[in-house]
Amino acid sequence: MDMRRHDVSPEDQARYLRRGDYARVTAADRPGVAQPVPEREVPTQPWGKVLLGACVLFALLLGGWEWHWRAFGVRPAYRNDSGLWSIQRARIDNGEGNATVLIGSSRMFMDLQLDVWQKFDGERPIQLAFEGTTPVPFLEDLAADPKFTGRLLVGVAPELFFSGYGFHKDAIAFYHKESPSQRVGQWLSMHLIEPFWAFDDRDFALATVLERQPWWPDRPGKPNRLHVRRLNISGPDRATQLWDKVADDPQYQALARRIWTQDFEPSPDDPPPEKVAKTRDEQIDHVVKAVATLRARGVKVLFVRPPSAGPYLAYDDRLFPRAQAWDVLLAKSGVPGIYFSDYPELSDFDPPEWSHLKLADARKFTAALHAIVVRDYWKPDAPK
Amino acid sequence: MVFNSLTFVAFFALVLVVHNLPLAWTWRKVNLLLASYVFYSAWNPPFVILLWISTVVDWYAAQGLVKARRESARHAWMLLSVIANLGMLGYFKYGNFLLDNFAALLHAAGIAYQPAAHDIVLPVGISFYTFATLSYTLDVYLRRALPAENFLDYALFVTFFPHLVAGPIMRPTELVPQFEQPRRASADQLRFGLALMTLGLFNKVVLADSFLAPVAEHVYDAQAIPGALDAWAATLAFSGQIFCDFAGYSTTAIGAALCLGFAMPDNFRFPYAAVGFSDFWRRWHITLSSWLRDYLYIPLGGNRHGERRTYAALMTTMLLGGLWHGASWTFVAWGGLHGAYLAVERVLRSRFAKWRPGPLALIVLGLLTWTLVNITWVFFRAKTFDKAWTVLRGMAGTNAQAKPILESFYLISVAVIVGGIVLAHWFMRARTLESVVARAHPAAIGTVWALLAFAIVAAQGSGAAFIYFQF
Repeated sequence: MDMRRHDVSPEDQARYLRRGDYARVTAADRPGVAQPVPEREVPTQPWGKVLLGACVLFALLLGGWEWHWRAFGVRPAYRNDSGLWSIQRARIDNGEGNATVLIGSSRMFMDLQLDVWQKFDGERPIQLAFEGTTPVPFLEDLAADPKFTGRLLVGVAPELFFSGYGFHKDAIAFYHKESPSQRVGQWLSMHLIEPFWAFDDRDFALATVLERQPWWPDRPGKPNRLHVRRLNISGPDRATQLWDKVADDPQYQALARRIWTQDFEPSPDDPPPEKVAKTRDEQIDHVVKAVATLRARGVKVLFVRPPSAGPYLAYDDRLFPRAQAWDVLLAKSGVPGIYFSDYPELSDFDPPEWSHLKLADARKFTAALHAIVVRDYWKPDAPK
Repeated sequence: MVFNSLTFVAFFALVLVVHNLPLAWTWRKVNLLLASYVFYSAWNPPFVILLWISTVVDWYAAQGLVKARRESARHAWMLLSVIANLGMLGYFKYGNFLLDNFAALLHAAGIAYQPAAHDIVLPVGISFYTFATLSYTLDVYLRRALPAENFLDYALFVTFFPHLVAGPIMRPTELVPQFEQPRRASADQLRFGLALMTLGLFNKVVLADSFLAPVAEHVYDAQAIPGALDAWAATLAFSGQIFCDFAGYSTTAIGAALCLGFAMPDNFRFPYAAVGFSDFWRRWHITLSSWLRDYLYIPLGGNRHGERRTYAALMTTMLLGGLWHGASWTFVAWGGLHGAYLAVERVLRSRFAKWRPGPLALIVLGLLTWTLVNITWVFFRAKTFDKAWTVLRGMAGTNAQAKPILESFYLISVAVIVGGIVLAHWFMRARTLESVVARAHPAAIGTVWALLAFAIVAAQGSGAAFIYFQF
């Protein structure tokens, strides 16, 4: 580059410079000329000592933060986000299309224990259920993937399944568009961060923690709402269980119940019944189409309604009564289903916060469910 | 890859190590060039081809410009560069927009036309590197600079990863000379560069993504109709979010370049303390506004061909500047509003040429500027005009069916953060960050640095893309 041609001469400076009260001259002050090499001064400071001091204080703060969460009962676990889900979803497209796949919401996610299923079945299922999320879009995603030819267990949590609500719906698009950078980041996080740091969970993110503090006043017409807390812990292949704090800490359990209770009473913000019914029917129509595609490819599909109890069960039944939702789903899709209350061995549980089973119960539930599935639906000697 | 990701941390550490190995300068530049291609292709590898096309076309166009003996040949080389660059930009960024508008136009004329669906994916940062490479041929065409002497320096200017995808939009004369001599950051440059990166990431990960973005989303991306408090809170949150997001990116980019021993220009000068809109545009996204001024406004006639031509050039520049941000009429409206503000300011400045505002008037005018800028952000943030009008009606307090949307935590956090940003901008109005840091006690700098770094880690950013990547 010929610097003579683009250096700003003193004449040009005088002619073009409109410095005003700006502390540093930029291209904004030099119209219509070649812009010179910028200058970036480093403020005079003992930067070595500053950096050392910052590192020490940072380490202390981080250590204190980690200690705080461990004292709260948190242990390192894997972040259950789109990146982790995508690794499991990719297994179907990378040679395991014939596997048993689980989709559903949090009950399917926490109540079905992969190791127990593997013990009885000989095959570890691929866990694709997501908490707070309807499985219907996931069902459609699998239907659109010709590589999936295995068996599909679909968890039905009525409140989510028939309303179409999806906290984690974005995971599907994330998987199909995941960039190399995101894949590398996921690998790094799973090997350098998640197995070692307890605080690394979206439930303990700074803004979330601040938002949950009790000191915020209620705004008239918009009282503060309690948001769902951490309920589960996951392993690297999304094998997931209810966090033992929910089962063992009465205060935390009471908080979890209080959070669910907020939804149980009818609210003026609830959609009108006719809209709820319309959405339910639309969801069932989506399922019917997806299931037809899957079955045409030889995929075996089975619906499962895992247990809920107490006020949560009453809420489920009020919102989407079995006769108007579950029964219609089975009838229209032609797919068999297992409803927990039809089987004593699936009903004899006491979920700590009315919705999810503690680990010991989840293991019993999985064993009982597997026995029913192979006895009545997927016989071991039958072709897939 | 995005700066706020673990991938970038590992990538940058590796680049720094190789850059500081005792290798020949050419090999260290090759390292930076290859690293920049890796940085770009980490999003979507095939799109690196577009970057190569843009690089090669402008390299040969500039060579042709210098060798051309006739003026018509110079025009031809310049046009080749402009058409190739804007053609790619037009296809990838505005293809669907143009087709949709063409179909709408035909529909209005009573002709039924349904264009075939085109799923055109926007290559990240195409608007930024297109403008950077265009400035190379245009500077040569305008005889402001000679072409680079070797292809490596030129390719590195186009591709250098700190500025590649979201600026600051570099001019060749700012960066190519820096590649001519061996460069390595001094220990203090490296440390201060890391401090700048921490500050930039704090702005992005903590303020923009963790606290401000959710407030804007609750109102702008929801069906609920906002009242005055919610509409203003969401709009102020977005004004803070977009500043922290974009200035955060620029600061991180400047810090990353400094860690490698290179200097990049300021892109922001505390814009929410601007008094008037010409002042605002000399403080906000400086490298874009000066690019538009040098390569669009001045060639259109600037202010040297009478009042009418000046206003026409001003409006054209701002409308196209709006469209540069996104293929939507809402961005054109945003640019149009800024053009109108600038035009009104020009009229007022000529009418009251002798008036000099006192300190109080300066603050009042500054607050008026900030308020009017916030109104333009409504069109920038809203995805449709319907949504923009709903929010504007809310800001005016005329939404009859409005219900409270935001809980008190969100209202308070917006008030604290955006209030803090505005106060900080006024304090820094005629200062630089460096001058303030130079006067601070080292213990205070270390403490603030540690707190910012801790907040970044504790915020657990989700690796959300920077807003300006979509442009």
